[in-house]
Amino acid sequence: MLPPNLMQLASLLPFRPVAFLGHVLVAALGAVRGRWRFRAKDLGRVTADCSARAVPIVTIVNVLVGAILAFVGAVQLVKFGAGIYVADLVGIAVAREMAAIITAVVMAGRTGAAFAAELATMQANEEVDALEVLGLDAINFLVLPRVLALLLTMPLLYVYGCITGLIGGMVVAAGMLDISPAAYIDRTALALDWSHLGLGISKSFVFGALIGMIGCYCGLYAQRNAAGVGVATTNAVVVSIVGIIVLDSLFAICANALGI
Amino acid sequence: MASLLEVQALEMRFGDRLIQTDVDFRVEKGTIFAIMGGSGCGKSTLLKHMIGLLPPARGVVRYDGIDYWAADPTGQGKLRTGFGMLFQSAALWSSMTIFENVCLPLEQQTSLDEAQRGARAREVLDWVDLGPFADFYPSDLSGGMKKRAGLARAIGPAPPLLFLDEPSAGLDPISSKKLDNLVLDIRERTGCAVVFVSHELPSLFAIADDGIFLDADSKTPIAHGAPRSLRHTATHPTVRAFLAREEPTPVIVDAKKPSTPVLSTRP
Repeated sequence: MLPPNLMQLASLLPFRPVAFLGHVLVAALGAVRGRWRFRAKDLGRVTADCSARAVPIVTIVNVLVGAILAFVGAVQLVKFGAGIYVADLVGIAVAREMAAIITAVVMAGRTGAAFAAELATMQANEEVDALEVLGLDAINFLVLPRVLALLLTMPLLYVYGCITGLIGGMVVAAGMLDISPAAYIDRTALALDWSHLGLGISKSFVFGALIGMIGCYCGLYAQRNAAGVGVATTNAVVVSIVGIIVLDSLFAICANALGI
Repeated sequence: MASLLEVQALEMRFGDRLIQTDVDFRVEKGTIFAIMGGSGCGKSTLLKHMIGLLPPARGVVRYDGIDYWAADPTGQGKLRTGFGMLFQSAALWSSMTIFENVCLPLEQQTSLDEAQRGARAREVLDWVDLGPFADFYPSDLSGGMKKRAGLARAIGPAPPLLFLDEPSAGLDPISSKKLDNLVLDIRERTGCAVVFVSHELPSLFAIADDGIFLDADSKTPIAHGAPRSLRHTATHPTVRAFLAREEPTPVIVDAKKPSTPVLSTRP
């Protein structure tokens, strides 16, 4: 039995989200041990939706962010005759922060919202009830494949986002500062090391899990009507984006403490 | 011998609000049992208590003598294989074809191999006249077809008990009649019992052998019996008024004000 002051503290915990998180973790452990209940076809469908179909928007946004960073950096660095360092600026910023964050924000807006809308609609149409009557747990059957799909695709999209961001920076550097692509790539390779990429990939895993779980949570616990679907979708996007920023701050603090 | 389904001293609440209390009835093998009552009296909530979606505030739901809500999750899972469910909206899984919708319960609740599951799914889809639509998605079907597909999904694993939540709701009279006949046909073929929630009088009179009437005002069941006989024997005014709706109220147009029809009952 917890002491009274701890009991009071425990009563402040948001039990439903915590219970949901615990349920997902238990289901994931079961899946690791081979007791997965979802259909491979569903995992394939969701994975295709969060990967190949997300590529165009991830490309556009990351190219533009790389270009914007290069613009801002070039203007300042040229004053000191250090224009070539725009490659360092873009490379490090994209690999450590921007590719992971921007890709996650884009995925929260498209995939997280889609998860919330789909599951909220299923809830409103009693499809989730139909699964439960059959003895199929919604977390196992609906949430796990979606979270898993994002865990698989987010790191790939992050790497792709890095490449497209660097290309955006390279185009601006070539146009504004006459830096050749070979020099730009050479300078980027010198500036980047595996710790930058490792940090970015770690973030993309965590952001993927966050977006998947928030989208599914908002969808599964939506009110069973049309307005509920809208509210679930909005909440999924807003909470995911705030969560991404909060987690990125924690990553920054940890990386600073660890000297990465 | 234990009844197929027995509901005893059930109390339903929504938060602190009492919905129904002292709900008692039994459903025997091969019976079509109707849960009747006006809108908001708790019919669908009662169904949720029986199919394991919502625990009751008090009381017992027994399948073959085993208390569902006292059983552990494994026991509950085993009891759930004893019934199929057609939801009011049909609740077909929208990302799956009709064939896949029918196959999933077979995969979960039977030990059939893939070929046997496919054969069984095609068989039940043929029963409900949806054989040619097996590869369609739910969004491609009409309301009546969705209901029939939902029925095929429910009967696929051949459960001894079927629950139907307002099967005729939203259907035209002809589709509704076809669905009633289909329920009778399924009972004839499989010998299963059916518990259905409805306030569609033609369906109640056509197919129900027994039933219970839930009253929203007194919050208790106020009549028990076959709707056909309750129509003549019920003494409670609410039941009589409910079942008398079978006779359409004639519309008399006031000759003095031809533009404003006045609803009136014949003397």
